[in-house]
Amino acid sequence: MTWSLIVLCGVITFLIRFIPLSGIISSDLPLFLKQSFKYIPLAVLTPIIVSDLSIIENKNFLLIDNFKLYSALIAIFVALIWNNVLATISIGMASFLIMSNF
Amino acid sequence: MKKWQIFKQGVLEEMPLQLGVFPFGIIYGVMAIESGLTFLQALLMSSIIFGGASQIAFVQLLSNSTPFGVIVTTVGAINSRHLLYSISMVEYLNKLSVSWRVMLAYLLTDEAYAVSIRKFINHSDNSILHYHLLGSGITLFVSWQISTLSGVLIGNDLPEFLDLQFIIPLTFIAIIIPMIKSKSTFLTVIVAGIAALVFKNLDINFWIILSGLFGILVGMFSSRLDKKL
Repeated sequence: MTWSLIVLCGVITFLIRFIPLSGIISSDLPLFLKQSFKYIPLAVLTPIIVSDLSIIENKNFLLIDNFKLYSALIAIFVALIWNNVLATISIGMASFLIMSNF
Repeated sequence: MKKWQIFKQGVLEEMPLQLGVFPFGIIYGVMAIESGLTFLQALLMSSIIFGGASQIAFVQLLSNSTPFGVIVTTVGAINSRHLLYSISMVEYLNKLSVSWRVMLAYLLTDEAYAVSIRKFINHSDNSILHYHLLGSGITLFVSWQISTLSGVLIGNDLPEFLDLQFIIPLTFIAIIIPMIKSKSTFLTVIVAGIAALVFKNLDINFWIILSGLFGILVGMFSSRLDKKL
């Protein structure tokens, strides 16, 4: 039974990823819909980032001593200034490790 | 650029994220064994589902004797955001053969998408860019399988490097910040972020995709305000 459950979840996950690419979406979509696609990376990755920053834990706002939040703000600043993936990750991670350990 | 060079670029750009993915895979492996899955089930779930957060939710629910229907719905809800990834890839991948689309759809996860979509947007005229997604996707796949295996073998002796997972949101920050080039993209980020805080706090299962849809709608409606920032 557990195997069936794993396979069923695998099939559902694959279908979620494949259905739009299966050809059911025409490439002649209305322009406004095509333009909406450019917002998808921002609109979906932002909630993941926000969630990973532990701003709300057990229904409490954690804004003070939230080192992940502070480090993320530093990373945003670095990304704005240098637009460099490696610098953003390195400085953000270094800030986080320093704040959490000292 | 040749195909293998683009593939290699996908691999190299995906590599830094593995510092964050690897601990996540180990955690999943440990939890899977603790939930009562067999070695083979724990290991093969990483290839059959290939979706980190949903796999962790799966084993958490399984260990709490949750009804199977709830587990399937939860996995579907967590992975529903991949539907949007796939939709945004249609214009770049729809001319490929079915076998290519099947393979790339299977590999279309958060970390591979985040790295490759930037490439697709910036070089949309290049017809062999799918090799980039293939490179990033395979890198993630291999790393996920090895880290799962490590977790399954390590068991409870979790190492002290779990904070490295923080690399994943940092990478996503590095990727999305340069994409904010107008008022509408800025508003998309703000609204999606606030919506995520609200919906997650309300314990809504589909909070990621729901927040995303809010962000997209605001982006579309505010696009008329756009002047380059």
